[in-house]
Amino acid sequence: MTGPTRLRLIATVSAAALGLSAPVVLAETPDDQLVVGFSMTNILTLDPAAITGKETVQVLANVYDGLVQLDPVNRTEVQPDLAESWEVAPDAMSITFTLRDGAEFASGNPVRAEDVVWSFRRLLTLNLAQASFLKTYGFTAEGAEQAFAAPDDRTVVVTLPQKINPQLIIATLGIVGPGSIIDSVLVTENEVDGDLGAAWLAQNSAGSAAFTLQQWQSNNLALLTRNDNFWGEPSTMRRIIWRHIPESQSQRLQLDQHDLDIAFQLAPADLAALETTEGVQIQTTPSAGFYYLAMSMADERFQNPKLREAIRYLIDYQGVNNAILPYFGEMHQRPISGGFFGLLDDPGYTLDPEKAKALLAEAGYPDGIDVTLRALSDDPFLNLATAMQGSLAQGGVRAEVITGSGEQIYGAMRERNFEMIVGRGGGGQLPDPDSNMRALIYNPDNSDEARLTNFQGWRTSFSDPKLNQMIDAAAAEADDEVRRQLYADIQNRIEEVVAPIIPFSEVVTSVAYRDDLNGFVLNPSWSTDLATVTKTR
Amino acid sequence: MSPTSRMTGFARQLGTIAITLLGLLVLTFAIGRLMPADPVRAIVGEEATQDTYMQVYTQLGFDRPLPVQFLMYLRDVLTGDFGTSIRTGQPVINDIMAVMPATLELATLAILIGAGLGIPLGVLAAVKKDRWPDHVIRIFSLMGHSMPIFWTGMIALLIFYAALGWVGGGGRISDYYIGLVPPVTNFIVIDAMLAREWDVVRSALNHLILPASLLGYSSSAYITRMTRSFMLDQINQEYITTARVKGLSRRQTIWRHAFLNIRVQLVTIVALAYGALLEGAVLIETVFSWPGFGQYLTSNLMTGDMNAVMTCVLLVGVIFIALNLLSDVLYRVFDPRTR
Repeated sequence: MTGPTRLRLIATVSAAALGLSAPVVLAETPDDQLVVGFSMTNILTLDPAAITGKETVQVLANVYDGLVQLDPVNRTEVQPDLAESWEVAPDAMSITFTLRDGAEFASGNPVRAEDVVWSFRRLLTLNLAQASFLKTYGFTAEGAEQAFAAPDDRTVVVTLPQKINPQLIIATLGIVGPGSIIDSVLVTENEVDGDLGAAWLAQNSAGSAAFTLQQWQSNNLALLTRNDNFWGEPSTMRRIIWRHIPESQSQRLQLDQHDLDIAFQLAPADLAALETTEGVQIQTTPSAGFYYLAMSMADERFQNPKLREAIRYLIDYQGVNNAILPYFGEMHQRPISGGFFGLLDDPGYTLDPEKAKALLAEAGYPDGIDVTLRALSDDPFLNLATAMQGSLAQGGVRAEVITGSGEQIYGAMRERNFEMIVGRGGGGQLPDPDSNMRALIYNPDNSDEARLTNFQGWRTSFSDPKLNQMIDAAAAEADDEVRRQLYADIQNRIEEVVAPIIPFSEVVTSVAYRDDLNGFVLNPSWSTDLATVTKTR
Repeated sequence: MSPTSRMTGFARQLGTIAITLLGLLVLTFAIGRLMPADPVRAIVGEEATQDTYMQVYTQLGFDRPLPVQFLMYLRDVLTGDFGTSIRTGQPVINDIMAVMPATLELATLAILIGAGLGIPLGVLAAVKKDRWPDHVIRIFSLMGHSMPIFWTGMIALLIFYAALGWVGGGGRISDYYIGLVPPVTNFIVIDAMLAREWDVVRSALNHLILPASLLGYSSSAYITRMTRSFMLDQINQEYITTARVKGLSRRQTIWRHAFLNIRVQLVTIVALAYGALLEGAVLIETVFSWPGFGQYLTSNLMTGDMNAVMTCVLLVGVIFIALNLLSDVLYRVFDPRTR
């Protein structure tokens, strides 16, 4: 290459490079599209029967309708969705739903009672993650034929398999997943080897809500487009782009630059920084579950209620909530979620090492005890475990912290192979105290062979027959006042027997979003409706 | 070399490759089973009942003895079936075909930047040994080597994306253009060119340039150091002195003699650096929300999705073996003594 030719080449390449790196006009997100940042790491499927975790619920809440929907503000209420009305039978053993007229799926197929019944039967037949919501109340795959019936195109009758408060079932059907109504005609067309469309639905959608899934790329994006056949008010948004942005700081930068409208998974440090950022707002709402300190009663020492009570006074409730849990949780000491029916005021426990020492001595451990304390190595669990280690030590409980992955921590809990754990959980996606009670306290069979790993009561080897009975009775009770009293009695009983799971904070969801969004209201049950969101530009 | 001995050599090489790949699979399978990750729990969730757990456990074949699971996997692989990913429910090969172009795009531009920067700097450092350019280059390359790329990525985003607005943020493309170009090759730049969507091409390049430059800088650090070392070996040889004594200019001596003789080693290190970029860009992929192979491999590893992990490991093994073979071939092309 000659000198001048080489020079020309260099000049051309430099010019191209400069052109490429010239300041780019990074405009705001499009007016008619909503760009949402979140982590898709836990999304394994988009089949409503098989989903796990809140991220999938957030997406599918805008794709699938239920018969009813959970109210985002008043957690004790449900609102009509595909069902315009419903009626509970006088004996409270069945519920009759009347579907709204003219509703269609995104495919254009009409929404029929037959689709509703098919969806529920499919859920129980597949027996995947979401089936447990209905199985808890006695619904089974074998009994599904009888439990769900469609006498005509607009009527769905749900017959309860056992005596249970019908309101509980109605609320359960408002949860995205167990309550999602699927276009049976479309899915059946895509069925392979009798899989009830499971493989197809993992990557496609067959719903009737305001949006439909156009594209899903695992760990990249979920693209929803407006459903022009939607029966309700059409969204002003043409698309919702759910982008996988696993790194919190990247989400923060993009929200700050207005390349994102909503950032769902921000770390507390980034949320704190965004509090003072112009044009950004933060919304925090109670979510499902609690942060708790749990003891295993498989360890003989913790079978002593005095020892468990001592632990209750070795938690710095105020301190951990103020220092570690901003944006993660809010102080809460009852095992029933905030805003739920029948919740009593917090009992007002505080860190009291002297009282704890006295209780330890009464329990026969005047010199304290040595324990292991398990916690996930992620935020905020490691910090919580360190704080707990400090406060427990003040009373003479010497905790060795063991950190690890989910399988090492919760796996050990499921195997009943732990002493103490700082964990998170406890139901609450179903907005009823029964959900909390089943997750945290209920344990109908304490034997190792029962392996009731979905009940944290079983995991901690805690079983109180009287409490089990009270929980069952409260779930079955149809009279509100009687039920309220039952839950008050249950909460008092839990304090009295000192259940080995001690909640110290309620999980909250904190989301940052651009302040030009209107109508953005987080749903505590994760099913945030984005169809009503508009932009003021 | 006689045809027979050439055939024997070829067969031996194939045998070595097969044993290497098998060893890789055995090791990965064993690590996967020892890892504290439960793919069944990932599928059914924390609240699932035991019967649901056992149903999925059996469906996935985890109730069979480990050696049987491994042999069945091996049998499927030999028939070209790499299994279905637990995470996505799709054939693993389809998943890899979807994520690989993103990584190839990134790694290829990165290695072009890395080699384009590293080789001249390495030569310059050798020629100016122990003088200020050598020191500056050493500091420059040491920084590239020692700064955590996760941190560099965030700082670069802060400067070039947030403060200056020169490049796009995360992802392969701006949100406006998502879904606009039909995927043909899954290389966004190529697909956009095929669709003649020049704004999309520009947007894709704009998103690509920063992560590729950072990865390229990181690679260039290694390439620079190695090039300098290779060049110093050559410069100290007697034939270089002879060439200078015979009246060849310094420039000609460096580029036409010394540099030509290090091409073979350079090809090897650049090939290895490229291989490392293909499988090891996970941190930069995370910071830049880049849906590539590194992220795919890591997230599957965390879930315990062994079909996907083993296929990825196998692929990485094949890539490295192919790169080694390629550098062997290039050795023969560039160095007549090896023929």
